[in-house]
Amino acid sequence: MIEQLDALLAQLDALQERALRELEAINSLAELEDWDVRYLGRHRGELKNFSTLIPKLGKAERPVIGQKINAVKEKLESALETRRQELRDRELREALERERLDVTLPGRALPAGHMHPISRTILEVARIFTRMGFQVVQGPEVETDYYNFQALNIPVDHPARDMQDTFWVVPGEILLRTQTSPMQIRVMQATRPPVRVIVPGKVFRHEAIDASHEAMFHQIEGLLVDERCTMADLKGSLARFAREMFGEDRRVRFRGSYFPFTEPSAEVDIDCILCKGSGCRLCKYSGWLEILGSGMVHPRVLREVGYDPRKYRGYAFGMGVERIAMLKYAIGEIRLFSGNDLRFLRQF
Amino acid sequence: MRVPLSWLKEYVEITQSPQELAHTLTMAGLEVETLDYIGADWGDQIITAQITHLEKVPGSDHLSYTRINTGSGEIGVICGAPNIKEGDKVPLALPGARIGDLTIGVARKMGYVSEGMLCSPRELGLGSDHSGIYILDPETPLGVKLADLLSDVVLEFAIKAHRGDLSSIIGIAREVAALTHKPLRLPEPRFNEQGQPAAELVKVTVEDRELCPRYSARVISGVKIGPSPGWMARRLLMAGMRPINLIVDITNYVMLEVGQPLHAFDYDLVREHHIIVRRARDGEEMTTLDGVQRRLRNDMLLITDPQGPTAIAGVMGSAISEVNEGTTRILLESANFKPASIRRTAVALGLRTESSSRFEKGLDPELTIFGANRAAQLMAELAGGQVHPGIVDVYPKPVEARSILFSPAEVEWLTGLKVTSRQVHEALSALEFKVEEVSAAADAAGGEQLLRVTIPTFRGDIEEGADLVEEVLRMIGYDQLPATVPEGPLPEPHGDHWFEREYEIREILIGLGLHEILTYAMTSRQRMLNLLAEVNAQTAQVLLQKPADDGQAGWIIASAQERAGSEDGLASDGREPFDARSLPAVTIANPLSNELECMRLTLLSGLMETLQENSKRNRAGLRLFEIGRRYLPRGAGELPEERRCAGIALCGPAAISWVPELARPADFYDLKGIVETLLERLHIRRYRFSAAQHPTFHPGRCAVLEVGRPGMDGGERFTPVGFLGEVHPLVQQRYDLPHRAYLCELDLETLYAAVPERLNYAPISRHQELTRDLAVVVDQQVPARAVQEAIERHGGELLRTVALFDVYTGTPIPPGKKSLTYTLLYQAQDRTLTDAEANALQERIVAALGEEFGAVLRS
Ligand SMILES: [Zn+2]
Repeated sequence: MIEQLDALLAQLDALQERALRELEAINSLAELEDWDVRYLGRHRGELKNFSTLIPKLGKAERPVIGQKINAVKEKLESALETRRQELRDRELREALERERLDVTLPGRALPAGHMHPISRTILEVARIFTRMGFQVVQGPEVETDYYNFQALNIPVDHPARDMQDTFWVVPGEILLRTQTSPMQIRVMQATRPPVRVIVPGKVFRHEAIDASHEAMFHQIEGLLVDERCTMADLKGSLARFAREMFGEDRRVRFRGSYFPFTEPSAEVDIDCILCKGSGCRLCKYSGWLEILGSGMVHPRVLREVGYDPRKYRGYAFGMGVERIAMLKYAIGEIRLFSGNDLRFLRQF
Repeated sequence: MRVPLSWLKEYVEITQSPQELAHTLTMAGLEVETLDYIGADWGDQIITAQITHLEKVPGSDHLSYTRINTGSGEIGVICGAPNIKEGDKVPLALPGARIGDLTIGVARKMGYVSEGMLCSPRELGLGSDHSGIYILDPETPLGVKLADLLSDVVLEFAIKAHRGDLSSIIGIAREVAALTHKPLRLPEPRFNEQGQPAAELVKVTVEDRELCPRYSARVISGVKIGPSPGWMARRLLMAGMRPINLIVDITNYVMLEVGQPLHAFDYDLVREHHIIVRRARDGEEMTTLDGVQRRLRNDMLLITDPQGPTAIAGVMGSAISEVNEGTTRILLESANFKPASIRRTAVALGLRTESSSRFEKGLDPELTIFGANRAAQLMAELAGGQVHPGIVDVYPKPVEARSILFSPAEVEWLTGLKVTSRQVHEALSALEFKVEEVSAAADAAGGEQLLRVTIPTFRGDIEEGADLVEEVLRMIGYDQLPATVPEGPLPEPHGDHWFEREYEIREILIGLGLHEILTYAMTSRQRMLNLLAEVNAQTAQVLLQKPADDGQAGWIIASAQERAGSEDGLASDGREPFDARSLPAVTIANPLSNELECMRLTLLSGLMETLQENSKRNRAGLRLFEIGRRYLPRGAGELPEERRCAGIALCGPAAISWVPELARPADFYDLKGIVETLLERLHIRRYRFSAAQHPTFHPGRCAVLEVGRPGMDGGERFTPVGFLGEVHPLVQQRYDLPHRAYLCELDLETLYAAVPERLNYAPISRHQELTRDLAVVVDQQVPARAVQEAIERHGGELLRTVALFDVYTGTPIPPGKKSLTYTLLYQAQDRTLTDAEANALQERIVAALGEEFGAVLRS
């Protein structure tokens, strides 16, 4: 009996050793399941076969063999579990490896659009002035001589008309507006002070088109009328505009000028954004860049719309959007704006 | 206006450098556009010299060979100019000198050696005269550097339209004197008068006293016509004028100096020695000095003699009584003309002269005598003339110096700049305003101090207080203005939201990957007709159509001609050959070119042209939009209707990409998807797309978008907003595009009328939703929208959403049929739906589809 017991124990040891050796060679979860069935299967597993021998053993040997079988079983189960985990880890690793992408390929992006630099500049200017309480209005682009000229103190046969060569629809009566200023009159006729508006829009001049002249371009008009406003307010407002638009350290300079619908009138310069005033090609070595024309609303214009110039004061200004955009974005040619070349438009 | 500094210094002391002076003047509103340094580039190699010998070069029709005395030796120079002769003193550029881009060297020509070059005024930068060599003063020393003799600085001003008084050296000098606190030194014309009085020699009749407020004439006899002295010629050149002869030069010189245009007639050629100033008769003709025959109008003023016109007043003379080589007696005209009349005449004749540009800005009638006397003095001194006593002066209504009451407080009131009464007094006095303190009016104005300011007659631009404020500000300096922030009350909201709306559309379309373009609002009829596959009166109407107003269904034609039912409008027979000119549009009377002859009726031609331009250099596709206006004509004399629109254009793939979906060329559904997203973003829920015909588009690939608005009867009215579709192949051909193009134009005003005024939140149902798929087979021709609408109608309230997720043709679907598969979502707001309820609804829908479209369930 002892020999039989020893032989059984030895067989179990051998079984364990063989099973563990085989286990080590297994490389897939499928083989692992086969191994599991072969050794630990509840019905035909080799270890099960030993268990069936137990009833045939003597009382003393039974627990010895039983314990041994359990020990082998625990050993194999734990080894199986370890191996299974290893294989699972490896398979996941391999699966992840197979799914590796070239993350440097371009993304499946939706195409991005761009706002035209003129629209963008108008929006920027409008935002600055709306922060100062101005409202944005627009007006007709085909205008009457009255609104474009006469009401603005530019009578028929006035030499100031030379400053703005005109496209006529009905000569002397209907024209393409040469400035956004006609909206000064339309707005003041429609409301009573206080008035704070800016007017962006297209304007037209009968000019041969070249690198610095366009037959169609854009202006932004500003108008403020109330019982308090002074030219110092005009300077303060435009200084604030210049700082917001062109940088915190910008300085503005007022100098005398002439516009038929303002008195006094002023040309407004900023110190050169490129050379900061020391002189360069952009500013023609003057250190200053002209950005807009302005002044106090002419008493004749106020009277024209029924405002009493002894009671109300106002300021007005007008700037060329193309000019502002050219300075802001360092664009050298005005024709680019109407050229609509995508290589240009995509930069904004 | 070109002002040589050396000339300016004759009337005012100048201590500032040219740059400082330019800055001072610019700040005060006299903008110096350029500082022209005459002679700065002449160097040492351009010297004075004299022609000692001149011979024609054999075999050449214009070249001469000259021997030149350089002061230190003699050299030979070949010259092609016609105006030189032996004895002339001339500027000589020696080898090594630079004239513009040219470096002078020694040259061999036709057997001669040329060791330098004689220079014209233009070559020296002295004005634009290039008709001959610049002949120097006979007194000029030889062998001297030209720069030492003639260098100067010319200030070039842009004279503003309201300051005729500044179109003269003295006018500028007056400003310099005021700004730099220096005295102004005016020339005082002195000369002897002798002989028969002018009044006996000449008669002046002014028929139109409104257009000619003053006519002053002098007579000078015994003048010798010859070249002007060098100093005068040089000043004229530097000021931009060409010396002609002494008499003409004197009139020009005085005009530049004083600002008074003058005209010198040959006294003996003025018939009957009688000057008549009158309006032209309509259709009257005369030939001006430039050789052009002019047809005149009744609103033009003429200088005539009893036999006919001799000059267009203030603009240009004629050859009839012009000064010529044989002239000995001068009738000198120094007149004042009405600015508006001169301007109208000059514009009408296309003839702008130095004289007309001064008159049209307004001149002081008091200036005529000073001008006449100054010219008489120079004619006496330089031309040996004898000035006849007296001036014939027709001056029926002498100007009176105006005066206004001005409170110094107005300066601060208008500008925020604090000034004292004394400062105001000084500033205005410096500009020759007469200022008196008015004590009597002080009480009336509540203790406020008032000044009576008398305006000099040459300042016609000054009318009221604001003008004086500007003068004070100019003198004290704009840089003294403080900078403050407006403190007044803010206005009420005006309620115009179009600016925000246009930017809302911009942002949405940019977000959808479209680039904004901005094209000319001017175009041509032909460019717009290029959009029509077949051009005739019928198809051209689409360019003029617009959504009916007030939510009426359908399109209306916006053209005035059409409304008036005019026979030559567009309503004519569609088969007649179409004349582009008959297309009503806002026409520009003076277009820059035929390509820009009218205002656009559509944004689409600009979009197509931009596609075309960009497709030449763009391999990726193009996705563009523009927001702008259509200009629809109305009745004659009325402003056009400007309609705000958005146009969209797609052509080719969205991108060059390795992703097939992105590299696929755009198609109709890409465009429609963009429009649908736009509608979604604007919260427009009630709209429909229907198949439509439009001459720009493929007949089977065009839709009209309509938005719904509640009608009066409680039903819904659909108003068209615009068309979208694939461009017709015949149209596509004209633009030479690499891919099919897709276009859309939307009327923003109609679109925004459909945007809900406010959004109402609908509570989310907490009850379970039931999903059912539905696949039906219908005829190919059945529009998907009809099926979808039927499903929605029959599904009723409990059917929450319907989404089409598959469209299929091909086996096993029979030919001519298509399968549409929807997913339907049922849900009640107040309870949980049962399967039975959903199934019943589903069956009802299937039955209805069967009945309406012959739809069968796909097995
Ligand atoms: Zn600079």
